[in-house]
Formats: sequence, C-alpha cells, structure tokens
Amino acid sequence: MKTALEIKNLTKYYGNILGIKNLNLELEQGEIFGFIGPNGAGKSTTIRCIMNLINKNKGKIFINGILFDKNKTFLKEIIGYLPSEINLYEDLTVQEILNYHQSFYKKDLSINRNKLVKLFKIDEKKKIENLSLGNLKKLGIALALMHEPKILILDEPTSGLDPIMQQTFYNLLIEEKKKGTTILYSTHVLNEVAKICDRVGIIKNGTLLKIESIENLHKLNLFYVTIISEEVKKIIKELKLNNYELNNNTIKFRNTIDINILIKELSKYKINKLLIEEASLEDIFLHYYK
Amino acid sequence: MFKREIKINFKSFILWTFILCAVFLVVFLIYPHLVKSDNMKMMDELLTIFPEDVLKSFNMDISSVSTAFGWLQTEGLMFIYLITGTFSAILGSNLILKEEDDKTIEYLNSFPITRTKIALFKISAGLIYIIAMVLFIGIFNYIGLISSEDINEKTFFYLSLSPLITSLVIFSLSMFISTFSSKTKIMIGISLGIVFGSYILNILSTISESIEFLKYLSIFTLADARNIIINSSFNPVMLFISLSLTIMFLVLTIIKYNKKELV
Repeated sequence: MKTALEIKNLTKYYGNILGIKNLNLELEQGEIFGFIGPNGAGKSTTIRCIMNLINKNKGKIFINGILFDKNKTFLKEIIGYLPSEINLYEDLTVQEILNYHQSFYKKDLSINRNKLVKLFKIDEKKKIENLSLGNLKKLGIALALMHEPKILILDEPTSGLDPIMQQTFYNLLIEEKKKGTTILYSTHVLNEVAKICDRVGIIKNGTLLKIESIENLHKLNLFYVTIISEEVKKIIKELKLNNYELNNNTIKFRNTIDINILIKELSKYKINKLLIEEASLEDIFLHYYK
Repeated sequence: MFKREIKINFKSFILWTFILCAVFLVVFLIYPHLVKSDNMKMMDELLTIFPEDVLKSFNMDISSVSTAFGWLQTEGLMFIYLITGTFSAILGSNLILKEEDDKTIEYLNSFPITRTKIALFKISAGLIYIIAMVLFIGIFNYIGLISSEDINEKTFFYLSLSPLITSLVIFSLSMFISTFSSKTKIMIGISLGIVFGSYILNILSTISESIEFLKYLSIFTLADARNIIINSSFNPVMLFISLSLTIMFLVLTIIKYNKKELV
C-alpha cells in the first residue's frame, strides 16, 4: 500500500513546554487512523504542525511522498481539514461561505456541494453567527469534504452532532475510505474509534505510545477481574497486584495471570462476588490513558 | 478573497471618509460668511499675539486663514493627515491580525493559497482604500473650494496627495508590527499611539529649535507640507524616504507573516 501521509521525527516545544517529541507516523492510502489521547497529549499540536499553522522545532511531513510545507499549495488542494473548534466568518450566510470556499478551487465543486448540503440537511440561508454548535459542525464537515480531498484531517469531528448525524457521518467516512481517501481521525470518543478506524495511535505527554490495528487490539484477549471480598488486601498482597482500583472491599484489576492459576488462587479466599469480563476496546484505551 | 477584503472594509472606509467630508462641508458652508464678517479681522488680530513658532507649527506663518484654502493649508491639512492616518493605522492593524484574533485563520490557512498571497490580497485591499480615501477627499475639497474662491491648483494638487505619503508609512508600519501581535485591540492601541504620538512630536518640534530634532521621529514630517505650500512640489528626499519605508515594511510584513505561528 502507498503511504499517503508520513510524519517523521516531529518535535514541537512551546517555549520550554513540550508539545510533541519525535513523533513518527505513517498512514496508508485508504485507511482510517484513529488518533487518541487525553487532553493536552499533543493531538491538536500534531495536526496544527501537519497543517503548517505552527512551526516545527524538528521533523518533516510528507504527503504522497512529497515534502509538505506552507508553499506547496498543490498538496493543500488534496487535503480536507476540520478543526476541533470551527470559526468561520460570522458576517456571511452559509450560502456565501460555501461560495467563498468554492472560489479557492479550480475544479467545479457544485455537485459535491449539493450532495453534502442535502446529506447533512444544511440550511444555506442561515447566517453563520446564528448557527448552533451542531449545525456549525455539519457545515465544517461539508467544507472539509467539498473539494473531494484525498487526505482528510479531522479533529474531534463528531462533537455537537446528534446520534443520527453521527451515523450519517460515519457512513460518509466509510464511503470515502472505499474511494481511497486517507483519514486521520482525532477523537476523545473511544467507541467511535472501535467502530470506524482500521488502526489506532495512542498519544500521551507528546509521545506516541502505541500504534495497533483495531483487529489486533481485539485479539489481545484482555480480561478485567472484579472481586468483592473482606480479604481484598490479602488478595492484593499475595497475588502481587500492582495496578488495581480499590474501593472499600471491591477490587478491579486487569488480569495478567493465567486464568486457571487465578481461579485456583482465588479459591483460597472467602469471596462474596467474582466477575471476570473481557476488556472492551474502551478499557484498553483507558489503560493507556492512565 | 480579494473581493471579500474589499467588502468587509467598505463600512470603515465610508465612515472615516464621511467624517472628513462632513467637517470640510461645514467649513465650506461657513467660511464665505466668516470671511465677510468682522470675525475674520478679529481672528487675524488674535493670531498676531501667538508666537511665530506656534503659527509655524500650523503653517500659519506662510498661509492665511482668511480663506477656506488658507484654512485647508493650515488646520485642515493636519486634520486630513490625522484622519487618513487613523484610518490607515486601523486598517494596517486589522487586515492580517483580525483573522488570528477571530480564529478564522485556521479555516483560511486550509485553502490552497500561500501566506504571501494572503498578505498581498490584504495589503492590496488596504492600499486601494487609502488611495480611494485621499482621492475622494481631494476631489471633494476641490469642488468645495473652486465654487467660492481662486486656488493655486498646483499647490492644491500636491497638498491633496500629501496624506498618501504619511498614510502609506503608517499603514505599512502598523501591518508590520501586527505580525508580532496576536490581539487586534492591543495592536490598534499601538498604531493609534504612533499616529497621535507623531502628530504631537511634529507640533512640538516646531515650537523650539532646541527640540527641533523631534520632527525626525514624526511620520508627519515626511509629508513636508511647508515645502508644498512654498514650492508647489513634493520634497523629493522625503518622498523617497517615505516610499522606501513603505516598501520595506510591506516586504518585512510578508517575510514575518510567513514565519508566524498562526494559532
């Protein structure tokens, strides 16, 4: 598969404060890559570096193998960008901003424009300043996709969208993926990553901790164990547990011991309740978040 | 994009041009009556009690306020410099910086357009409005003056164009400083400070020889209105300095804007 977007050794400091350090990432053409991490992890910094909004301290960005800098406008033509906070010209109507958007591209965008306006039920007569957060988001999505980009960079795209519009949006992304569009999908909503992404990258404190395919994450076969017992402290000590959540007589931990050995060990204690459950992808992501 | 820049700055252009025209319209309507009355004699007598240096600072030593054209060459001209300068300062502060302050730059930057082009479109829109304002005021004053008195047309021509010399420097300097800032409110404060500071320095420099050097710190010195009134032409040295400064600041604006962090 061809690499559509490549980030090499990307480093960004804000004065002395670290934004991202030595971030390396390759997105294959036609994949949806989930980019997740807690607030301040460096997701938006990475995206702003890709979009050349801020200066990099180190590192390079390649689009289809070509070094991407501020002056490569022909590469900008194939990128669609949706920022997490959409700020548009409030004095314009929706129709005017769609016309304004169209004026920057050489090709005729009217067919795709009409399709997106209809799909997201966008009211073209409304003024931007009167749009609700959800309607602004829908307009932002339409603007990011209007020029049929080959690479989509989406930062928190579904915040503010109602569930029906979210589903419409997911379907649209899957359609785009089939057409070969590469999508960098930054989000906080972990279950949507599981739903639509092919791979996921987990970023924390400016460092990319792990890149894994969703398929492999499912195969990790991780279990969470919840025990309610008077003897929880004894269990923690004898099972040598390090990472656990303790709440009165309840303990929850990610199981790293062979399940048969665990059951054998637990049979030594008086247990009120025992729950062994498969970790959801959300649990796995949260494990990296912490 | 250029069309949008023209559209969004139109209201501001109309407002400032209207202020200037309204003031001059009042002057043109009142002056013929004022000249005929005894008030003008009183005014001339009153002016004689002022020290020569004070009169010099308003060009009153080489022009008479007993005609509307005389008034235009003295207080009127300074008023034009101040208003066109203020308009240019606000334009220079706003044009590029407003996109960052309103956070619309993230959207604008996503288009297939270079930062140099963005800056050039905005600079062009600003220049067009400044030139339009100066020409409009010039034509307005010309119509107002020729209907009531004879004027030296050559002097009038150069005087009418002289606000361009100061306004372009103020505009380009404001634009350049705005590339170091991220808030338009602060930037407008700085650029208006430059305009009014320049005005005060210009007045002060003519009052006493010991502080004459202050004129070199004032942008209004570049217009050299005294030279226009006396010789009916621009001071070529000042014209050269002014154009060089304008070009230098605009080039520096584009260079700095290309390196700026936009969010």
